[in-house]
Amino acid sequence: MIVILAIDALEYNLVDRFNCTHLMQKNYGKTDISEFSEPRTMVLWSSFMTGKNLEDEILAKGDKEMWETHIDHARTFFSHFTSPAVIDLPGYNYDIMEHKREREILKHFFDVKTPEEKEQVKKEYNDRAFAFHRKIKDEFLSALRENHDLVLGYFSIADVIGHLNFGNTTLMKMIYRDLDEIAGSIPAPYIVLSDHGMEPIGMFGDHSRYGFWSSSEQDLGNPKITMFFDTMISGISSGSFKGDRS
Amino acid sequence: MDRIDRTMDDLPLKLVITGHVDHGKSTLIGRLLFDTGSLPDDKITEIRQICSALGKEFEFGYILDNLEEERDQGITIDTTQIFFSSKKRHYVIIDAPGHVEFIKNMITGASQADTAVIIIDAEEGIREQTKRHAFILGMLGIKKVIVLINKMDRVGYDQERFTSVKNAYLDFLNEIGLHAIQSIPISASNGDNVATGSSHISWYQGPTFLEALDSFEVPNSLKNAPLRFAVQDIYNFSKRIIAGKVVSGTLRQGDTVTVLPSGEKTQVRSLEEYLRNPDSAETGKCIGVMTTDKKFCDRGYIFSDPRDTPAITQQFRANIFWMDKISCKKGQQIIFRCSTQEANGKITAIHTVINSSTLELMGSDVDEIKNREVAQVTIRTDRPVIIEPHTKTPELGRFVLVTDNVSAGGIITEVLL
Repeated sequence: MIVILAIDALEYNLVDRFNCTHLMQKNYGKTDISEFSEPRTMVLWSSFMTGKNLEDEILAKGDKEMWETHIDHARTFFSHFTSPAVIDLPGYNYDIMEHKREREILKHFFDVKTPEEKEQVKKEYNDRAFAFHRKIKDEFLSALRENHDLVLGYFSIADVIGHLNFGNTTLMKMIYRDLDEIAGSIPAPYIVLSDHGMEPIGMFGDHSRYGFWSSSEQDLGNPKITMFFDTMISGISSGSFKGDRS
Repeated sequence: MDRIDRTMDDLPLKLVITGHVDHGKSTLIGRLLFDTGSLPDDKITEIRQICSALGKEFEFGYILDNLEEERDQGITIDTTQIFFSSKKRHYVIIDAPGHVEFIKNMITGASQADTAVIIIDAEEGIREQTKRHAFILGMLGIKKVIVLINKMDRVGYDQERFTSVKNAYLDFLNEIGLHAIQSIPISASNGDNVATGSSHISWYQGPTFLEALDSFEVPNSLKNAPLRFAVQDIYNFSKRIIAGKVVSGTLRQGDTVTVLPSGEKTQVRSLEEYLRNPDSAETGKCIGVMTTDKKFCDRGYIFSDPRDTPAITQQFRANIFWMDKISCKKGQQIIFRCSTQEANGKITAIHTVINSSTLELMGSDVDEIKNREVAQVTIRTDRPVIIEPHTKTPELGRFVLVTDNVSAGGIITEVLL
């Protein structure tokens, strides 16, 4: 079994600062996403799973339709596995309605005027994000106990909460610690990957122009996000993902 | 030595908490702050809400995380200290982010701890760091420690497990000359025996951790120790005023004192402050002195209690923390500064060198000390200096070494005559 912990907006500098050793593993670094015009979640994950830069293809769908992208299974490296479990990955099988609602509430936050209204919207936003995070976490931990040759869990909490709360370091630290615990509970070799990081804009957070990767096996240097396609395929060919459940 | 308990009016008791990573230091500090009501309610509420949102139990370690974050953002003014109070006294936990900072602070006097606490995971037992920390505490002059065997809940509050870990560790402490004044079974996360007793550990009859701290006896205040007055400057107006600082004991009008290094005796005619003449000046006080005669005196001289005078020597052993990118070579010329004294000198022997980050022994009888290494050395000065072991008179037992910059801080462990 090989596990991929796909974390939206996991920020390299915070992983390091909060000393999240399970997220860091033996080898970790930044990914190179400079080939993309903007660090867009849908573009980056779609490119990750297909091994091709799909920026033009995704952007051609337009701002709204882009979020409903569904990449065909046969185009992804998941199709090379016998029994993959992919949980909530954008562009593949993520919960479109849930993530759409999150974006709507986020927009609403910036639309309302008074501090009281903003606080109320923020609470709804945070509560919803945490509830969804717990659900995904349960699904991911269950999948780890099942008989899959690939488990990929996509966690959006760092991105969703970060957009409105990046300046609340207590909150961000506790989220990173939780993600670190999730990584620590993986009973097989795993890769941690983020599409992009996050940089502060006052109390808020915006996408940074690099992602995060870590691996217990190899030092990947400064990889492109499309490179992981070949990494996974060669892992299957070499048999390095077999019999390693501990 | 006479000992007293401090009261709420005194300075806070300074303690340092050490232990292997993940043995529960953060949780213990969080629990102490929580149980002693030392944190604002809204902080606790916020952390409780986030824990709940993440589907977790409330974790006390997050309280310390929160303080660290505030510190990083400059919200908490003091950079290395966490304050709390019991009903009996005030405390400050000296919180250094790593070995390097801890050793540097301790050895340069930035934050001297009165006592140390060593925390050990009952389940995991003694780890290498648990031993290294104790070793370094001893090297820094701390001789008495409180040992906490934590996470007793994880071993079913088992008395045998407690006894086994405790005995093994006490044997080790004994080997390196440290004394455990208390060994306490606790669960920091559940609060057992931290600030309140535990119904789970009925077999333990000793004090809680907070009770042990409250009853910790600190050395009698320096104000009752033998007089040491460090001369800073001489002012000759219509009268000669010797300006200086009382670094130990109490200086009184009428006292006969020995002037060192000359060894001559003189008498204090008056103590001089702006528009007043106090009868006495206690440790820490900077004051002017007039004597009944004009025996020679200069910056770096020490007035001493004639019945108990410090050593005048050119050689001593010390533990130093080297903090210069340029390594120190054996025999290299250095400037030694201790209190108001300054002398040229050299490090004549480097007995042991320890990496302050890993606490690894890097070598014995070596020729070089590198940046951030702690070393036991012998220093020889070109002229006699007035010094004492750090444990007796901190200000005459603490020094810096200067090359081009301030390159090292150190404490004197043994005066060689």
